[in-house]
Amino acid sequence: MSRGDLAAVKVTRMSLLFRIQHLLLTVLLTVLAVTGFALMYHENSLAQWIIRLEGGVHNRGIVHRIAAVLLMANLVYHVFYMLFSREGKPELRQLFFTRRDFDDFLQSLRYNLGTAKEYPRFGKYGYKEKFQYWGASVGILLIGFTGFMLWAEEFSMVFFPKVVLDLALIVHGYQGLLGFVLLYLWHIYNVHLHPSVFPMNPSWITGKVSAEWLRREHPLEYEKLEEEGLL
Amino acid sequence: MKRMIRHYLAAVLAAAALLSAGLAAGAAPGVSECMDCHGDKTIEKTLPGGRTVSLYVDLQAYRSSVHGKGSCVTCHADATAPHEKLAKVSCGRCHGDADKSYAGSSHGKLRAKGVTDVPACYDCHGKHDIRKPKDPAARTFRLNIVATCLRCHMDRALEQKYDLPGQQVMIAYQQSVHGMASKKSGLTGSAVCVDCHGNHAILPGDEPRSATHRQKIPTMCGKCHPGILEKYEMSVHGKGMRAGIAESPVCTDCHGEHTISKVSDPNSPVFARNIPKTCSGCHENEAISTRYALPKKRFSSYMDSFHGIAVEYGMTKAANCSSCHGVHDILPSSDPASPVNKANLPKTCGKCHPNAGPNFAKGDVHVEVSPKKAMGVFAVRLFYTIFISALVVLFVLHVGLELYGRWNRRKENGPDGKEGQS
Repeated sequence: MSRGDLAAVKVTRMSLLFRIQHLLLTVLLTVLAVTGFALMYHENSLAQWIIRLEGGVHNRGIVHRIAAVLLMANLVYHVFYMLFSREGKPELRQLFFTRRDFDDFLQSLRYNLGTAKEYPRFGKYGYKEKFQYWGASVGILLIGFTGFMLWAEEFSMVFFPKVVLDLALIVHGYQGLLGFVLLYLWHIYNVHLHPSVFPMNPSWITGKVSAEWLRREHPLEYEKLEEEGLL
Repeated sequence: MKRMIRHYLAAVLAAAALLSAGLAAGAAPGVSECMDCHGDKTIEKTLPGGRTVSLYVDLQAYRSSVHGKGSCVTCHADATAPHEKLAKVSCGRCHGDADKSYAGSSHGKLRAKGVTDVPACYDCHGKHDIRKPKDPAARTFRLNIVATCLRCHMDRALEQKYDLPGQQVMIAYQQSVHGMASKKSGLTGSAVCVDCHGNHAILPGDEPRSATHRQKIPTMCGKCHPGILEKYEMSVHGKGMRAGIAESPVCTDCHGEHTISKVSDPNSPVFARNIPKTCSGCHENEAISTRYALPKKRFSSYMDSFHGIAVEYGMTKAANCSSCHGVHDILPSSDPASPVNKANLPKTCGKCHPNAGPNFAKGDVHVEVSPKKAMGVFAVRLFYTIFISALVVLFVLHVGLELYGRWNRRKENGPDGKEGQS
C-alpha cells in the first residue's frame, strides 16, 4: 500500500465503550474542576462569579458531588472493564509500565537532541500515554478518597483529628491542580497541539485514526495489526 | 390679757393696711381676669422686626395641663391687669433640679450665651399646655419625644449652622429596631432619644459627663437589657472596658448606634454573615492585636475555612465567630469557662457536629499555614507547590525539546521529514 492509501485507511484506536468512558470523564472532570477551583480560589473575583453562576456555595457543592458520584461510577465501571472485559483486558496489559518505556523516553530525548538516529518504536501506548493514564488514575483515586472524607465529614470526625481533615482538604485541592496541569499541559498538547495530530486526534470522537499516523507514531501497533490482517 | 388684745389689734390693723395697699396697686389678677384679654384669639403684639406674636391663651388647654389647677401668677408673678411686657418665666423656681441639669447641658450652655436656636424648657414641654410625660398627649410622652427632638434635629439649616449629626442619623434611628418599635409597633418600652442621651443634661458623647460617653454605654444599654449587661460584664470585653481600656468594645461597637437593627436583619453588623467582618474590625487590626497580645490571623484563617466560605456566600447555618466564641460573654480561650477552651472544644464543635469528639478537637481550629503553627499542612502544600511547578517545567522542557528536534530534522531533510519522526 502506498502512503496515500494508508492515509485513507482508518484503524480503530478507541472502542465505543472506551469513548463513552472518555467522554464522561472529560465532561465530569471539567465540571469538577470548574466547581472545585471556584471554591479553592474563592477570594478571586472570577471564582466568585462562577460560584454565583452555580447558584451559591451550597448548590456548587451539590453540583460538585453529583459530578463526583458519576465520576466514581465511571471509575468503578472502568476498573471492571479493564480487569474483566474481553475488550479491556488487552488494553490493561498494554498500559503497564515496563523497563522499555524508560529506555524509550531516554531514546526520544536523544533523538530530539540529535544524538540518536531512530525515534523509539511505540506499541499502542507509548510512555506519554502511560504516564497520562497512570498519573490521572492515581490522582483520581487520591482526590476521590480525600473527597469522600470531606464529604462524609461527620463520619470522618469520629476517626480523625481536625488536622487530618485539613490535610485531606489540601491534598484534594492541590491534587486537583496537579491533575489539571497534567490534562491541560500534557494531554491537550499530545492529542491536540502536537504537530502530528494538530488540530486534533479524531479518535476520541470517531474512534479511528489513519493507518499512516499509526505507522509513524505507533509502529509496533501498526505491525501487529498488519500481521493480524486487520488493515 | 390686756397685752394679748393689744397684740391682736395690732395684727388686724397691719393686715388691713397691707390689703388696702395691695388693692390700690391692682392686686394679683385671677385666671378669669387674665382671660379677659388673653382669651381673645386675635390678641397679638408686634415685635420690633414687624413680626406679630399671638398672645392668645387656650384656657381649655391650660386647664387640662399639669399646672391647670394653679393660677397665672404662679409663673407670671409680675402680671397685673393690664400689664406691659412681663419678666421671663423661671421654671427653675419650682423645678430646681431640672434647671440645674439643663444649665450644664449643651442646650443650656448655649442658651446662657444668648443663642435662641437651642431649646428652652417650653420648646420641649410646651407653655400653657404642659402635660406630664406619662400623658399620651404630652410632647414629652415616650411616643412623642422623637418628633419633639426632630423638630430641630431634622432641620438642615440648624444642622449646618451648629455642625450637628446629619439627617441620615435621625432617619437611621427611625428605621432602627428601636425607632420602629416605638413608631410602628407603638411600644413604650423601646428606646427613644432621651433614654440614651438623657433629657435635661444632654451632652455630646465625647464629654465624660455625657450619658452617651463610651464608658457609660454598657450601663446605659443595660437599663433595658440587664440580662445582656450581666453577661457582658463577665466577658473579656466587659472587664477590659471596666478596667478603662477604651479600645475594648462596648455595645455600640458591634451593634451600631442609631442604626441598631435586629440580628436577623441582613444589614445588621451582627447578622450572621456580617459578624466576621464586625469582629475583624479589631481582631484583624495589627496595632490592637499587638497591643493586647491577641492571636493573629484569626479573620483570614477563618475566611479560608469551610465555615468562612459558607458564611460569606450566605449559608448562615455555618459557624461564625460567635457560634464558637460566644456573644456577649466572650472569654479568652485560656479561661476554663470559655467555649473555645481546649477542654470545652469537643462540646462546642459538638453543637453542630455530634461526632466531633475529643479526638477531633486536637490541634488548631484556626489554621495559620506556617511551619510553626501547622507544619503538616504547610509541608504538604509546599510539596505540592514544588511538585506541580517542577512538573510544569519538565512538561515545557519536553515539549520544547520535541519541537526543537522537529525543527532541526526539517532543516536537514526538507518539509516532508523522514519516517518515524515525532
